[in-house]
Amino acid sequence: MALDAGIGEWLLATLLLFSSIGVIAARKPVHASLFFLLTLMSLAAIYLQLSAQFIAVMQILVYAGAILVIFMFVIVLFQDAYQQIVHHKSGSSPPFLFAAAASFCALLLLFAFGLQGLPQQYASLPEGFGMVQLLGKELYIDFFFPFEAVILLFLVAVVGALYIGKKGSL
Amino acid sequence: MNLLLVIFLSMALFAISIVGILARRNALIFFLSIELMLNGANLLFVAFSRHWGNQIGLVWVFFVLVVAAAEAAVGLAIIINLFRLKQLVDVDQYNALRE
Repeated sequence: MALDAGIGEWLLATLLLFSSIGVIAARKPVHASLFFLLTLMSLAAIYLQLSAQFIAVMQILVYAGAILVIFMFVIVLFQDAYQQIVHHKSGSSPPFLFAAAASFCALLLLFAFGLQGLPQQYASLPEGFGMVQLLGKELYIDFFFPFEAVILLFLVAVVGALYIGKKGSL
Repeated sequence: MNLLLVIFLSMALFAISIVGILARRNALIFFLSIELMLNGANLLFVAFSRHWGNQIGLVWVFFVLVVAAAEAAVGLAIIINLFRLKQLVDVDQYNALRE
């Protein structure tokens, strides 16, 4: 399988890599979260390229709309800690980079073996693939129990967050 | 989009977030790195769902999104509480469970 892709796809890939490196390299958490927003946007564009429209929209709504906003609120709460964050040394030492390179190579090897029997071409898509109608049918009929379980998980998580976040509970 | 390129990208996302978790000591960057990791897995789900023309991968992406949101709520609450306790966001200083 050759690595041929259009100029736009290479551009998206570069943007994704650049912004994700920015997330871990930025000194201040605000800059890191802005880089994270860029990562999410480029990921949503890639999802659109892979004809997963509903997931692309959910990515923007849930991540950029909800998680990142909560994150920004937390950063605002941490105003006093900024001095300490700025003065903190954050150089990545060689062992960590080595560990990351090793894990990357291990993943690459794993995929090189796993991809052997894969068909060369994309499968033809059914009508309405990635749209909310088919996905909703799948979610509510075939995945009904996991869906309910995940709802329960989310409810418990929100109640737990309320309890943990309360003043004087720790 | 080319499947090989997408696989490479998702692996790169995962490796970059491993570096972020190992090398940075800021609790907030930790949190963002974990979210990046989840996104790398999601990208792989979407790519193979497109490759096989099968919707089930997209359903799992939806579940991962919900779990990420739950994790964000609980994780940020814990970080806020630790910050109240120590006035620090440096994870090396969080050693209350060690003693």
